[in-house]
Amino acid sequence: MGSRHVPSPQTGAVENPSGHVDPAECPAPTKQLAPHRTNPVLAWVVRVGTFLPNLALLGLVIAFWQFTSTIWLPHIDPQLAVLMPAPSTIVVTATAMIMSGELFYHLVASLKREATAFVFASAAVPIGVAMGWWRRAYNQMNPIIELLRPIPPLAWIPLSILWFGLGDEQNEFIIFLGMFFPILINTIVGVRNIEPNLVRAARSLGASERRVLIRIVLKGALPQIVTGIRVALGFGWMALVAAELVGANSGLGFLINDARSMLRTDIITVGMLTIGIVGLAIDATIRALTRRALPWSLGMAK
Amino acid sequence: MGRVAVSTVSKTYGEPGAVGSVMALDNVSFEIPDNRFCAILGHSGCGKTTLLNIAAGFEHATKGVVTVDGAPIREPGWQHTMIFQDYALFPWMSVAQNIAFGLEMKNISRPERDRVTRHHIELVGLQGFEHKLPHHLSGGMRQRVAIARALAVGPRVLLMDEPFAALDAQNRSLMQDELVHIWQREPKTVLLVTHSIDEAIKLADYIVVMTRRPGRVKSFIGVDLPRPRDEDGAAYAKLKRKLRMLIHEEISDDQ
Repeated sequence: MGSRHVPSPQTGAVENPSGHVDPAECPAPTKQLAPHRTNPVLAWVVRVGTFLPNLALLGLVIAFWQFTSTIWLPHIDPQLAVLMPAPSTIVVTATAMIMSGELFYHLVASLKREATAFVFASAAVPIGVAMGWWRRAYNQMNPIIELLRPIPPLAWIPLSILWFGLGDEQNEFIIFLGMFFPILINTIVGVRNIEPNLVRAARSLGASERRVLIRIVLKGALPQIVTGIRVALGFGWMALVAAELVGANSGLGFLINDARSMLRTDIITVGMLTIGIVGLAIDATIRALTRRALPWSLGMAK
Repeated sequence: MGRVAVSTVSKTYGEPGAVGSVMALDNVSFEIPDNRFCAILGHSGCGKTTLLNIAAGFEHATKGVVTVDGAPIREPGWQHTMIFQDYALFPWMSVAQNIAFGLEMKNISRPERDRVTRHHIELVGLQGFEHKLPHHLSGGMRQRVAIARALAVGPRVLLMDEPFAALDAQNRSLMQDELVHIWQREPKTVLLVTHSIDEAIKLADYIVVMTRRPGRVKSFIGVDLPRPRDEDGAAYAKLKRKLRMLIHEEISDDQ
């Protein structure tokens, strides 16, 4: 879905005119690149070639930043320059942190927490299916959910420190809270939006309620559930950094907070960029997995 | 096997007699012998779809009962399976998986399932499309899959709710011929709801003409024309005139 609006004059003319597209050959969103599928290297070059001009502004910003940090700010007051490390300094620091394994150590600590919290938060899927399917379950659960949902995960930090103490469990609890509700709400919506005739057809073909739930309802809600998971991983990633700022001795949130006490703005910036890039990578991974595993969800959404 | 009896079926939405309650069906009775094709003809809103939903077990009659071979229908099941106007194919399943779904629900063994699936793919002429997903098929092809899927479970009666209404005229006519062809190869009791007079004459052995709301049986007509039915024949034209008159009365009644 991401690159669809980017025009690609190179391939536009060759686009499949028949309208009937083999799903195995051609996952819908990259249709414009289909003619290059036989040569992956060429396809990659074309993709980079079309995308590169979009980075012009970013390049300009970085150049201006470099100028500000190394020439402009030191000219006004040398001490100001510390507050804004130059891109070149950041690259040097990042390289050093990667080589020493420090960055990797903190990244893994954060990812572990995110993953653990996600395992617990996935309980929202069966709960959401139950709430979406049985009106009574919804009526009973909904007041509780609606009461808890507006409380930001960060508001739980004081109580969670008292409950779990500082450390992994407390962090994971906060992340869990950030993840749970997006998955739950999306699952409920997904179940409710299933085409009623699909359920009827399944019943009419002899499916029991249990099998309708697993084969039709859960499966039919899957695209929406995956959307919930994408949102949840993003929320969780944000909650994670906040939780680590307060109560951790490892992880990217800890890293940037710890660097603050030593005025290492370069480390802070490297940590922040890592958080951003990894968050983006998680999202892109889920999207790619969706495209591969649920091709029908794209076909339905036409 | 597949004698369908609709006996004194009434359906009221809301509390009967209360303000705002709507009577959809009023004392509907008729019978279809085994392996015969019956079309229920009427205007939209005459309760014909409600009747079909009751026969499928999706809704319950307020009064009366629909039986298949004497057994009353209480809930949905493969013995009286339904084909929908919007096909209702499972979008994540291939053509073959869609057709095999009901067999799987009946816990039929894998080799037998494959055999029956293959047979029905051939029956509706979808060889070569076994592994396509529904959204890669045209409307007519999707309805073929739905027909194959319904026939594969071996129902006693096949219920069809305006199955070709979403198709263009050309394809509709084609699919009607195709349905007659399939039905002649594998006879089955069919209850088909339609608002098209031509569709009813082309397909059915019996035509039940319904009144406007509340739906009653206005007329029960046996069609004794040889198949394939010649649309230009005199008998066809006579029947069509008769049906058109019956349907037109219902429009003027309302105004």
